Amino acid sequence: MNRETRKVYQSHLLFYEGPFFIDLLTIFGNYLKLYTNKYPVSQKKLFKIYVELVQNVANYAEETYHLQNEDREIGVGEFYLTDRETHYRLTTKNVVKAKDARVLSQRCEIINNSDFYQLKELKRELRKTSPGVKFGARIGLVHAKLISENNLEYTTIEQNRNVSIFKITAKVDKYE
Amino acid sequence: MNNLEIHRSPSYPYYPSVMFNAETGVCDIVGESYMEEAYKFYLPLINWIKEFIREKGQKIELNIKLVYFNTSTTKCLLDIFEILRYYKEDQNGVFEITWFYDKDDPDMIDEVKDFEKEADLSINIKEF
Repeated sequence: MNRETRKVYQSHLLFYEGPFFIDLLTIFGNYLKLYTNKYPVSQKKLFKIYVELVQNVANYAEETYHLQNEDREIGVGEFYLTDRETHYRLTTKNVVKAKDARVLSQRCEIINNSDFYQLKELKRELRKTSPGVKFGARIGLVHAKLISENNLEYTTIEQNRNVSIFKITAKVDKYE
Repeated sequence: MNNLEIHRSPSYPYYPSVMFNAETGVCDIVGESYMEEAYKFYLPLINWIKEFIREKGQKIELNIKLVYFNTSTTKCLLDIFEILRYYKEDQNGVFEITWFYDKDDPDMIDEVKDFEKEADLSINIKEF
């Protein structure tokens, strides 16, 4: 590991790469709470965003892991929590279909360009119009921006014609 | 009619504990709720409330003390709120919803107010 890589890893409070099993994510979630408990308000915001972002990966990642016992697929990706002087950064990264990457980027742009009241309205609208039992990734992203009170940072990295990597970061300030 | 009881397990903290009392109509949902398939967990709760309305027709007192819940859970809670609203509108049923929140969670009050607006009913908000 070179010095730069080591420096990046040292700023991570948590890092995981693999299938997003809920039980494993719960364990990481407990560590997230533990490592951020010096800032109770930020801790609660972080955990809420964490749940939304990791469940988006578990439900919608293009790369999946087959759960033998339950005979279903679970999304594969990575997440990390970074500690900065004034804030925390929570990032998830996963493979998505190229067309979904474009849609996700557009959604993030709309979310970032919306103010608090517009986001509330958008959330209400999505709740009303979402078909079936799942909301899709949209409402989780709206929620992440509302809770974090900061713009979402997102990038897509094209892998080939069919798939891209979608990376999203929510920044949560340290509230005293 | 039987009580509905689901006890929270440390191994599965993403399920809340549930205590729905068929005698008193007091219904408590406590803990965290961020399971993968929320509707599977909440369906028996919804069915219990429907049965209680049908068989007992008494006052329902719903107390919610959820520290965390995911967006899938919100849809299930809205379904419960809708049933209660119809209970009042169609059958003159009586209900009271109280939401208990942590003072270190300023976003929760906003969330509850959103529920009130979306479900078109009022929710008591209390700090715990």
